[in-house]
Amino acid sequence: MSGSALFWLIIFAVSALVFFGTASVITVLGIRDLRDLLRKSERKR
Amino acid sequence: MNFQILDWIILLLYLSLSVFFGIRAKRYVENMEGYFVAGRRVKVALGSATLIATEIGVVTFMYFGELGYVTGLSCFVLGLIGFFGYFVIGKTGFVVSGLRRLKVITIPEFYEKRYSKNVRLLGGILLFLGGVLNMGVFLKMDGIFLTETMGFGPEVLSVVMTIMLLIVISYTVLGGMFSVVITDFMQFVVLAFGMLVATLFVLSRVSFIDIGTAVTQQFGESGYNPVVNPRFGWSFLVWMMIGSIAISALNQPAVSKSFASESPEVGRKVFLYTGITLAGRYMIPMFWGVAALAMFGPSLNPTTAMPRLLGAVVPSGFLGLMVAGMLAASMSTYSAYLLAWSSVAARDIISPLSSKELSEKITIRLSRIISTLIGIFILVFGLYYELPATAFQYIAITGAMYAAGAFGCVAFGLYWKRANVVGAYASLVLGAVAPLAFLILAQFQESLPPSARVLVDVNVSGFLSFALATLGMIVGSLASQRSHPPILLLPDSEKGESP
Repeated sequence: MSGSALFWLIIFAVSALVFFGTASVITVLGIRDLRDLLRKSERKR
Repeated sequence: MNFQILDWIILLLYLSLSVFFGIRAKRYVENMEGYFVAGRRVKVALGSATLIATEIGVVTFMYFGELGYVTGLSCFVLGLIGFFGYFVIGKTGFVVSGLRRLKVITIPEFYEKRYSKNVRLLGGILLFLGGVLNMGVFLKMDGIFLTETMGFGPEVLSVVMTIMLLIVISYTVLGGMFSVVITDFMQFVVLAFGMLVATLFVLSRVSFIDIGTAVTQQFGESGYNPVVNPRFGWSFLVWMMIGSIAISALNQPAVSKSFASESPEVGRKVFLYTGITLAGRYMIPMFWGVAALAMFGPSLNPTTAMPRLLGAVVPSGFLGLMVAGMLAASMSTYSAYLLAWSSVAARDIISPLSSKELSEKITIRLSRIISTLIGIFILVFGLYYELPATAFQYIAITGAMYAAGAFGCVAFGLYWKRANVVGAYASLVLGAVAPLAFLILAQFQESLPPSARVLVDVNVSGFLSFALATLGMIVGSLASQRSHPPILLLPDSEKGESP
């Protein structure tokens, strides 16, 4: 495999890991935010 | 047929839950701000999830997969450029924080505050036209994707797509931004899982070495170097560099997520965290496209190669999960776009044309009607329109049609005191000229004289739109400072408002 291919594939692997890692964190924290949004909106209503 | 009973059960379960929660959100809509921007109570993680879900649709998977198949690994550069654009916005709050601070609901509202009511009207029309044309191709791409992955004929899929559109319209129309945020979050979780499943199955069948070999054999250096790749080159890269910041910060469906955030700081962070994921979510479908090249060779239709790969490598059960993820991605995109463009039409086109001020109730009702009409339009447009370039380039050029002028008006309006109404008109009109010329002339490109062919080069046209919009704002404003003195916006502190 050439150096150029290796370069782009490493960039891809890192980017994909960052995506899935961030997505996991956002999922967990997002549930908390969603509950908070609905609670506040319910109160306002 | 690739789709089995288990896949159908997963898919129907997911669609039913989406409709249930989407329609249930109607109870939270207490007024116009509640309908259009969820009462401005969205926090960072939820805002990031909903923005990411909005920006990923089957159409993005399709055009990135197509790019991967026809350009090799060189298209990965777009992931890095997009990441750079979002990172700049996320770190500096460029445009998005300024607009959020002004508490606008749509971008053209800023035009009225900074320039005039008529600039708002013109800006609203261009934003609406460019936005709806941009959206027009989504359904077609979704249809192709589902045809290839599920293994049905196109005649069945037009029915499936119509049902999907009806589901999205039903909850978007009823619950507005609350429905969009709640369903986007569910869709984000499902689509991220679907992407993981698909990537793992692709990697189980196609190795990195297979990909390196296929790209070298098919493209040589242009498979790795975007500058020498005939589909890209410097003009494309510079256009993307500017466009990634401008289109990201001024794309109404995306920026409305910042408007819905609980503060300008939260709005900025939403862009930052969304940006961190951007390189990955661009490159993953591009990788699937390159993997399709390695697996099937170069003889397939580039648009269908990637979904055919997924249909072949993902087994039953997981296929239902992956298709649910892809449909989730599309539905979140449709709902955000429908709400964004209908809000622009109701608030920035119909309302300024109306002789009396429209009540909140009528504005919401209008927005609901327009959402439905847009849905019908994209169904018809998607079935009959033939793309003049790759899907990615079509999306980028229609995006440039409104983003170039909006970039001139908003960026200069926020950060340049001399920006005035003449500059705003010039920027909006000149920004739309090159993309419009491209879309029209591309239909007759065979009969064009050689000297005019440059206008049907999608990369030149996109680059020109931003250059002309910027030039129009600067020259127009400087030439008319005396006749049209700029209207300066007072900081919130001087108006006695909290940020």
